[in-house]
Amino acid sequence: MANRVQIPTSNSALIAMIADEDTVVGFLMAGVGNVDLRRKTNYLIVDSIKQIEDTFKEFTTREDIAVVLISQYVANMIRFLVDSYNKPVPAILEIPSKDHPYDPAHDSVLSRVKYLFSAESVASGRR
Amino acid sequence: MEVVDHETPSLENGQTDKEVEENANVLQFMDSMDAYLTLIHSLSSTLRRGWLELASARHSMGASRVNTVLLDHTSHPAATSLLVTQDEGKVDSGKPHFTLCKWASSSNENSLLGEKQSSQDKLHPQLRHRGSTELYEEKTSSENKASREVDDPVQKERSKSLSMFGTLVSPKLRAAQLSFEAALETLVEIANMRSEMLCAFDQVNMKLAGRKDEK
Repeated sequence: MANRVQIPTSNSALIAMIADEDTVVGFLMAGVGNVDLRRKTNYLIVDSIKQIEDTFKEFTTREDIAVVLISQYVANMIRFLVDSYNKPVPAILEIPSKDHPYDPAHDSVLSRVKYLFSAESVASGRR
Repeated sequence: MEVVDHETPSLENGQTDKEVEENANVLQFMDSMDAYLTLIHSLSSTLRRGWLELASARHSMGASRVNTVLLDHTSHPAATSLLVTQDEGKVDSGKPHFTLCKWASSSNENSLLGEKQSSQDKLHPQLRHRGSTELYEEKTSSENKASREVDDPVQKERSKSLSMFGTLVSPKLRAAQLSFEAALETLVEIANMRSEMLCAFDQVNMKLAGRKDEK
């Protein structure tokens, strides 16, 4: 059982968000917002790229966050960070935004699995 | 004279057990990927509805009343959270499972228990549905009472969440809240389907790598 991955279980884990104003406001109305005693929130209304990078790194290392919602156009700004992330928890979900519809070609999870459909992988399996 | 190979047991259609398992893994991967894309499509339409309702609410209430400046920055816990467990399908799968806990707070433990009870009753209605119609009517009225008792704290939490925008809010804002709640449910399904897809992908990848090593 050397390769068994331990999943950090939790009974009150948070949903974090890195998205545009309307998306964040909408999910906050659904009760997702959390502000701790140090006034740290589990959401970021997108502003600068540097802030997005720092916030993504923070959310993916916090133990109380189980899912990170990130608008796909924001994920495209830090694509190298998102694609290099491979932990099971927190799960990174790329969501559409008002002005940028979802594009499966850019989704990091689908990019990871799409090579199975490439001609190279089919040819190497047949050799 | 036909030579029977006893080393690789074959089935009627000529496939070995190993090939059947590989095909099952590939099918599971394809199914989970299809379900993932379908759920994303459903999420997109739910979010579009939510954004439109939010924009309508902003139009009727005024931009200053539906604004991020009004967000509550005082310390408070999330009313909606997630329960994360290890998937029980396979012991060493390393697959997380997410369950949404909507409007759950320390004061709402009774409402959660009530929701569990009413959902269990919905799953097994025929176990109690026996005897006369009077008994059935008593049961349905007690179920309605239970669901009303559950809904009241949930409605209170919903109103509390909207209170940052004022006491009287547009019906469109309430509709937007419900749309984003539905989007949250879809997102949790997407998270579970994502972990299932990645698990199936790892299985298929392992088989492919094993096949390459054999050759």
